[in-house]
Amino acid sequence: MHDVAIVGAGPAGMAGALQLARAGLSVVVIDEQARAGGQIFRRPPEEFGVRHGQYRPYGWARDLIEDFEEHPLIETRFRQTVFGILRDPEGQISLAVSDGQRGTRIKARRVLLATGAYDMPVAFPGWTLPGVMTAGAVQSLLKSQKLLAGRQIVVAGSHPIQLILAAQLLEAGADLAAIALARDLPGFLEMARTLPAIPGNVSIFTEALRAMAVIARHRVPLLRRTLISAVEQTGEGPLRISLRKVDAQWRPVGTAREFEADVLALGYGFTPSTELARQAGCALSWHSAGGGWTVQHDDNFRTGVQEIFVAGEQTGVAGAGRAHAEGLVAGQAIAHSLGVGADPLEVNRAQALLKSSERFAGVMQTMFEPNRTALADLSHHSATVICRCEEITSGQLEDALTCNPFLTSASAAKLECRTGMGVCQGRYCEGTVAARIAMHHNTQIAQAGHFNAHLPVKPVPLGAYGDLDH
Amino acid sequence: MANFHRLPVARGRPVRFTFEGAPVDSFAGETLATALLAAQVGAFGHTREGNPRLPFCNMGTCFDCAVQVDGRGLVRACLTDVVEGMVVNMQEIK
Amino acid sequence: MTAHFDTIIIGGGLLGCATAWMIAREGGRVLLLERDQINQHASGSNAGSLHFQLEYRMIEGGLDKARKAAEAMPLHLDAAELWADLPRLTAEPIVVKQTGGLMIAETADQVRLLEQKTEIERAWGLDNRMIDRAGIERIAPYLSDRVIAAAHCTTEGKADARTAGPAFARAALAAGAHIRTRSEVRALSRRGRGWSVVAGSDESPQTLQADTVVIAAGVWTTRMGQMMGADLPTIPLALMMTVTQRMAPLIGHLVQHAGGRLSLKQALDGNILIGGGWPARLLRDAEGTPDFDAKPQLEASSLAGNARIAMGVLPRLAGVPALRSWVGTTTITPDQLPLVGPVPGCPGAFVATGGSAFTLGPSFAQALAALVAGRQPLTDLRSFDPARYAKG
Repeated sequence: MHDVAIVGAGPAGMAGALQLARAGLSVVVIDEQARAGGQIFRRPPEEFGVRHGQYRPYGWARDLIEDFEEHPLIETRFRQTVFGILRDPEGQISLAVSDGQRGTRIKARRVLLATGAYDMPVAFPGWTLPGVMTAGAVQSLLKSQKLLAGRQIVVAGSHPIQLILAAQLLEAGADLAAIALARDLPGFLEMARTLPAIPGNVSIFTEALRAMAVIARHRVPLLRRTLISAVEQTGEGPLRISLRKVDAQWRPVGTAREFEADVLALGYGFTPSTELARQAGCALSWHSAGGGWTVQHDDNFRTGVQEIFVAGEQTGVAGAGRAHAEGLVAGQAIAHSLGVGADPLEVNRAQALLKSSERFAGVMQTMFEPNRTALADLSHHSATVICRCEEITSGQLEDALTCNPFLTSASAAKLECRTGMGVCQGRYCEGTVAARIAMHHNTQIAQAGHFNAHLPVKPVPLGAYGDLDH
Repeated sequence: MANFHRLPVARGRPVRFTFEGAPVDSFAGETLATALLAAQVGAFGHTREGNPRLPFCNMGTCFDCAVQVDGRGLVRACLTDVVEGMVVNMQEIK
Repeated sequence: MTAHFDTIIIGGGLLGCATAWMIAREGGRVLLLERDQINQHASGSNAGSLHFQLEYRMIEGGLDKARKAAEAMPLHLDAAELWADLPRLTAEPIVVKQTGGLMIAETADQVRLLEQKTEIERAWGLDNRMIDRAGIERIAPYLSDRVIAAAHCTTEGKADARTAGPAFARAALAAGAHIRTRSEVRALSRRGRGWSVVAGSDESPQTLQADTVVIAAGVWTTRMGQMMGADLPTIPLALMMTVTQRMAPLIGHLVQHAGGRLSLKQALDGNILIGGGWPARLLRDAEGTPDFDAKPQLEASSLAGNARIAMGVLPRLAGVPALRSWVGTTTITPDQLPLVGPVPGCPGAFVATGGSAFTLGPSFAQALAALVAGRQPLTDLRSFDPARYAKG
């Protein structure tokens, strides 16, 4: 039995673990990756002979990772999947964990969910073709595996991280056919308004400016107010990527331009990974700018389920700085709930970080909130696949909505037409389905709700169930 | 045709495994996804309707990279480190 | 504003939708009220078994209890016939596969129990026969050689629980019924010769009138009865099910076990559905009243137990990825027989629920449609009369 089990070894999970370990509590941290860092600090594997990767612009990452890896009270389990949260008849909470073959349970007095986020899926014609990848995939292959995805690449999205990814790809030797941003670049006024939020986060803007300079030096076409519309491929030929000019509401204006590339890297924002929280019974709230469905919590980051706390992107996607601060505060709150007080200096430091990151995150979220309706509209052609796993098309969903006028929720649509019933457990179609239902019935996306999340939140062999009562 | 290639950095010792019966050369520390992409594998598997799939998210959430490893199904290539002699095949049904 | 209907049906599960369709096609003005969405609760979250044999829960308590449970057999026989005809009658693509069911035995004691059980069932007219190991190898070679005998009922099988409820709802709409979802019933009262029903959201409830009311509310049956001042005792049972990744066709039957909780079958889509009555935990308030709005909690012992009994009869399942385990909350009654008939002391109000309500849904609906129309139901309902629990 551990005092605390933490799911996810990213900035929030690491910060929380350190606070708890420094308070003398026993901590176990479980992550599917091979090393600590989370998606944001993915680094080369140990076998490549380097300890650290490139963490710019987060200067504090290196120390955080080293302190985390060296603390004797932190036990880590990498390459393991937490597939559910269970409660005994006696009330004891535990994590169901699998290594891909067998199952086991990890009991703890408290649980901190720091499961991060994933690239927000956007369905459009051709998004399932080989070579169409998320920005996170292209970036993590580069940063961690030192694999360059493609010689010729198109980067399309709306999130500022696309500029940083583009610069990283250029510096690694890629040839970028185009960078398409759905928004305008932040204008002078917008920048001026963000200044009050910047203190403490200057390096992030410096990094963005540096990326812009790299892009300019390589003379890559930077297309503003331009949205992905379709990808086609003939045989094993290159991807033919159609990009369309859009207005301020992301509505298409004019005809599409076509670019050829090996790889298309998509980054329209992030979706919080809330499946474990949902499965455990934590309540969610809709927060579009924060990435969609986020986990409800109090000031101590405690959810509605007594033993479960959350930190990081699940409370609203706001970047590594914010996740780090939330991890610190949640860690202190958990320690406090177990009767261990924290050093007042540490508490003040954490609260100060939380406060400064809050302003910054708020501005970033408002500036870069994706236009969900416009993105969902990219799937309006009836042959466009919405659910990658079950290959449910837009037309099948529309037919289901038309034939079943009483069907107005994402969960009901899932049951009726199998969208979301495949192996990704609905992660890659939920947003599109909810937005399409809202458009069909002329209501809000939040009204359409979200899919239920069930155990296992990621598929495990049935054999792993057989071990759960040991 | 995607065009994935390794950057010239130090890697682990050579590791050889098979994919669909053919030998694949890789390096310790690489994931199965990296090794197969670098080997220019055009599809990790096919959907029921016969459409090819390559990794999409590379972070364990989309399952498009799922393969069969030593007889076990639905193994995510992006979260699996290469091991000498492992037998990798496409999934029968996704 | 008030609106008047011939019949208001409370509950948009399989039973409510099927009843709405049956009444509407006879010309009744029907309104169906559902607090959530159509088919979201027990109807959409059960495994879709069509089991006409006595289930394990009816035989585990001994033969006397099995004999009592067998009194529901006429409803089972009706259901076996009705299901086969529903796709044609509704003109909807309701997926029904009656490819036979096997209740299997691994020990001599279980074989004896099956023999006694089939005798009881055959006396009621159910075609259920014992087959031996050779018979199993012939028709179900996928089963482990630990299985030594089985009771084979040819009319058993499965229906698609995912889509059957909405199919009835569409048929009901086509027949002229009205359906309101996200419309919770808040009050029920006698008014003149009919009923007044307050339904809708907290902010904008609406008062509706109907000559007759049908309670097809599953676990909410008792609460609806309380609103009417009637005692309709039900016991909620939160049961767990698991679905695996799709597989090539492997399991042709509905498989149940004489010595434990197991139902195993392969859906048309290829996924394998595993259940059989493994309990989950309902959340309850301080007084012990179950909270049906809260998600029931899975039990590690049920997850493990259900997986083990399934892997025992089909070992290759151990490597098959599980996609989802979820909980559906069904109702049974204190004597395990269904509750079908007039609501005691409430003229014009009718109810059906209690045990195997997916399998028996069409039978219940047929009985309710007859009662609403003032006809004598085709099947003798005396054993299921809610009045048997009426106080005093």
